[in-house]
Amino acid sequence: MIPLKYNVRSLTVRKATTFATGFGIALVVFVLSASLMLAAGIKKTFASGAREDVAVVMRKGSDNEMSSSLENANVSLVSAAPGAKKDTVSGEIVMVLAMEKVGAPGVTNVQLRGVTDAAQRIRPEVKVVEGRLPQPGRDEVMVGQRIHRRFANVELGKSFELRKNRPVTVVGVFTSEGSSTESEIWCDLDVLRGSFAREGSVSSIRVKLDSAAAFDGFKAAMEGDKQYGFMALRETEYVKKQSEDTAAFIGIIGTLISVFFAIGAMIGAMITMYAAVANRQREIGTLRALGFSRRSILLSFLVESTTLALFGGLLGAAASMAMKFVRFSMMNFASWSEVVFSFEPTPSVILTSLTFAAAMGLFGGFFPALRAARVSPIQAMRG
Amino acid sequence: MDTATEKAPASHRDKAEALVSLRGIVKIYERGGEQLKILDGLDLEIAKGSYEALMGPSGSGKSTLLNLIAGLDRPTAGSIDIGGKRIDQLNESQLARWRADTIGFIFQSYNLMPVLTAVENVELPLLLTKVPSSERRQRAQTALRVVGLEDRMDHFPRQLSGGQEQRVAIARAIVNDPALIVADEPTGDLDRKSADDILGILEQLNRELGKTIVMVTHDPAAAERAKVIRRLDKGQLK
Amino acid sequence: MTLVGLAARNVLRNKFRAALTVAGVAVAIITFLLLRTVLWAWTAAADYAAKDRVVTRHKVTFIMTLPLSYAQSVRSLPQVKASTFCNWFGGKDPKHDKEFFGSLACDTETGFTVYDDMVVPPDVLDQWKHDAQGAIVGDVIAKKMNWKVGDRVTLQTGIYPKEGDWEFRISGIYQAKSKAVDRSTFIFHWKYLNDNLPANRKDQIGWIVSRVHDPSQAAGVGVAIDKVFDEKEIQTLSQDERAFNASFLASISAVLTAINIISVVILVIMALVLGNTIAMGVRERTNEYGVLKALGFSNKHVVMFIVVEAIVIGVAGGLLGLAIGYPFIEGGLGRFLEENMGSFFPYFKIDPRMSVLAMFLAVALAAAASVIPAISAARLKTVDALKRIA
Repeated sequence: MIPLKYNVRSLTVRKATTFATGFGIALVVFVLSASLMLAAGIKKTFASGAREDVAVVMRKGSDNEMSSSLENANVSLVSAAPGAKKDTVSGEIVMVLAMEKVGAPGVTNVQLRGVTDAAQRIRPEVKVVEGRLPQPGRDEVMVGQRIHRRFANVELGKSFELRKNRPVTVVGVFTSEGSSTESEIWCDLDVLRGSFAREGSVSSIRVKLDSAAAFDGFKAAMEGDKQYGFMALRETEYVKKQSEDTAAFIGIIGTLISVFFAIGAMIGAMITMYAAVANRQREIGTLRALGFSRRSILLSFLVESTTLALFGGLLGAAASMAMKFVRFSMMNFASWSEVVFSFEPTPSVILTSLTFAAAMGLFGGFFPALRAARVSPIQAMRG
Repeated sequence: MDTATEKAPASHRDKAEALVSLRGIVKIYERGGEQLKILDGLDLEIAKGSYEALMGPSGSGKSTLLNLIAGLDRPTAGSIDIGGKRIDQLNESQLARWRADTIGFIFQSYNLMPVLTAVENVELPLLLTKVPSSERRQRAQTALRVVGLEDRMDHFPRQLSGGQEQRVAIARAIVNDPALIVADEPTGDLDRKSADDILGILEQLNRELGKTIVMVTHDPAAAERAKVIRRLDKGQLK
Repeated sequence: MTLVGLAARNVLRNKFRAALTVAGVAVAIITFLLLRTVLWAWTAAADYAAKDRVVTRHKVTFIMTLPLSYAQSVRSLPQVKASTFCNWFGGKDPKHDKEFFGSLACDTETGFTVYDDMVVPPDVLDQWKHDAQGAIVGDVIAKKMNWKVGDRVTLQTGIYPKEGDWEFRISGIYQAKSKAVDRSTFIFHWKYLNDNLPANRKDQIGWIVSRVHDPSQAAGVGVAIDKVFDEKEIQTLSQDERAFNASFLASISAVLTAINIISVVILVIMALVLGNTIAMGVRERTNEYGVLKALGFSNKHVVMFIVVEAIVIGVAGGLLGLAIGYPFIEGGLGRFLEENMGSFFPYFKIDPRMSVLAMFLAVALAAAASVIPAISAARLKTVDALKRIA
């Protein structure tokens, strides 16, 4: 076995080439790692805060809460269904508001949720971190921390209009453990109804169940009576549906880009390693003459290219950690409204990135290493 | 044309006819903060039409001297006059221009461009001149004929023997009709037979075409073929 | 033989490495073109949007409707040439509930007059007008769902409850005249929708689209329309279609920015790979550059030799990239996206200007990447370069 030291020193001798190749791989890994972090961020945003034992009831055929409309009277129907906890049934109205984004042209949609005090009983993670809760019946709202100050007048103490001459004041900022709720504005259900002439209706009804297992019975009861046209989903299932398109979109773009990038970087690694082999014919010949086997030469060059790629990979993965401080805001395709995501550096993201880098090194280095292994000991004698 | 065949000491030659004239040449190299004096106040004159061999042990400064004469390097002090031109005062690009017009090079390891055929290698220096392309090819062919390689014109260097490669290199050195041919160990990489062929060609160039030749060599047999042998030791001509 | 010819010949010195590098450049160019095409497909929709159309919708939220009377008020404005109104139906085929397509209920008489970039033959249009349940669909969605003229189609929607199903009959197919038109939209009579709604939801419209006499005044007309309703119960927000599309783009601007940055990053990687290859070649041939300089070639010549070599690789890689990129992006991927994600990518083609730019960048970056090795080769003293044997 040829010591690793030999490879590492060989890499440091060719500083410029090593750096150029390593930097190329670093860029690729950076892009890959950042998109994985974003995908993890999207997953976290939607998955955290979704519960197995909470059901969302909407009108059959609705894609989301926004396009669903139910009679307010249905709330009591839901709370009477088998498996439902009577005191934690929350009828909510979901709307989108066209708001001016700070520092961007045009208007962007922000999700607005009209709630009663039951909403927080279902979502205990929602906590006011600045200011206070809006008072029932008053023209007050609280805003999710992630959109706080990102839109015109979405700022504690300021106010904006839900309709002409009906301003609402921002009295609180809330968090919800990083879930998509943090990109919403919440107000009192009746205030919202009053502003948009939606008296007597709700978009969706959320209900806490006795247990996760109680869902099937609940669903059967709700959907059994065709005349109401209900549709019941587990909250986890609903949230997954809401994020599917966006997650797939980012996933597809990220994968596509990473594949192309990887091909480019692999070619770069291959060129570098071929040159390394060509320049070291005599050295390799000498090693062979000294008695090292073809296998150990092959291994040695694979180790060298993998080391090079891992060096680049570490550089790229380390740099991508800085994305943690970047907020990525985009429209969620399912709800047509803006959701703010964060880049989440998880151990699996780092592991995947480094594995990917090592794989680039292995594949890029394989053919050059094969060529090195074929060098004859006679090369040691030649110039 | 100088037709003298005996070895005459340089001091006997007519100064008016000098093609190369070096005065008080000092060349100092700096290596690792240490100053190495390679040439120390050297004077040299080479007459037009002469064929001179420079001999000396390794490190005697003979290659440095050749580089100075060929305009590849500049002296630390002293003047170099070649054909009435002070080349020690030329800048880098002027020197390049001057070399293209004045000097024909022959190297120890031939230094042909591997991607070019024999005739294209010979044609290479003409690319720097205003010679029209049709005439370039003709001149290159003529030069190859002079060195006896007319049947190898379209071969690539790797398809030629060492002696043949060196002959192509000689053709390249004479194609633009230089005033001075400098040869650095032209036979160093060759066997005796090929070396003799090459020396024969150089002799012929000197005798029949009147080319002035300066050759650095280790090989006493090669030096014997020159008109003048100069020995260099510790930066001084003996 | 010429100087440039000699430089170009050096590319083939190490054929394998040259081929790898050309492949690397080609991959980078394809990636660049692909990313740029994604951006262009989105921005093109905004660029190609009809300049003479103004969209009027609810000021606060697009999911709220406007009273039908608003359409009449807009139509009576002198600046407005014609106007129509539509509702977003949100329909899905229950048999294919994963397939997304836009479904609109539009005013029968004015719909295709205002949306004149959806072309329907006059006889088909006439037939449609006489079938209350008739629908005109885009060619892409018709092909995908295998809808033929005369077929009965049932759609489900969560937005509009109805006793029984929403049933339609396919009257015909529209063709897109502009690159901004989604070829997967399902259009039917607004009257059919309205007639089947409960009394409290009747006579509501989603948005009004107006064509103006003078496209350059579109923004001004928008302001004039909004002014009409300023004192009413419900205010409106009017934008010309281009601004409307632009605000959609703004909502995914983070993605656009990311793609933009990444398309530049791939070029940086390309330059690194290229520069590395050139530097290796230069290092191996230092002795030759020494010979050339001894023969009288100047530093400029040496730089030229190396830069031209790089440019040859850049041109070859760029051409290969375009040769593979066009069929891949327009033929394979583009067709797939137009058919399956038509609402995002109604028109997925390479911007010809972008292929020119890609080619230019391949050449320019190749030249730039070779500058450092070229200068270091030129700077080397002739005497030292001659001593170097690779």
